[in-house]
Amino acid sequence: MLVLTRKLGEGIVIGDDITITIVEMKGGNIRIGIDAPRDMKVHRQEVYDRIVQENKDAAHWNMVDLDTISDNLILRKEKNGKN
Amino acid sequence: MEKINTRFGEVEYDPKNLLHFPAGLIGLPNLRNFIVMPNKKQGPLFWIQSIDDPDMAFVLTDPTNFFLDYQVIPEPAEYQSLQIENGDDWFVLSVVTVPPDQNITLNLAAPIFYAPRTNRAIQVILRDTKYTSKTPLHK
Repeated sequence: MLVLTRKLGEGIVIGDDITITIVEMKGGNIRIGIDAPRDMKVHRQEVYDRIVQENKDAAHWNMVDLDTISDNLILRKEKNGKN
Repeated sequence: MEKINTRFGEVEYDPKNLLHFPAGLIGLPNLRNFIVMPNKKQGPLFWIQSIDDPDMAFVLTDPTNFFLDYQVIPEPAEYQSLQIENGDDWFVLSVVTVPPDQNITLNLAAPIFYAPRTNRAIQVILRDTKYTSKTPLHK
């Protein structure tokens, strides 16, 4: 990993169209400004990691469970419809 | 027609009729082409089978079946990924996680936009959202 030291207000340029700037440092937090093309998705690491893990979890399922759940959802809908 | 061996058995499909994720799923960028499987059972759940990795399949649903006020819209860049223009139809889908205890959850934090005209789909991560990736159904 490339590690760089930056001061408040300084920045980093990645490629031709991404700029990262240190905006504020306060109480152990660092605020970062990111300029990037709109189609370049930027996410907090933990948010991204959570979605990746959820996708991987979602790939593991059994047909028997899906069939049972589908039946139960129909029953549930009928029950709610009568209420 | 072509055939693949999935963990649910052999599946026959028409390569001209695949659902295409140009960027794959989030964290799974190689999963780009899927067969939309007809469900044996009635109800809101259906599933898609990856042809890039036969071990991978996902249960999907229209989240508004369960969460009437769920509203998300694609951004202009996402219209481009879907290769659609203003006025074209698009639909929102959610990935469903089916655990062994059968208490399913919907990933409302990372919806899928699907454009029927182009048969393309993309998964996006909502920014600053109240929705979570493991949303249980209402009791």
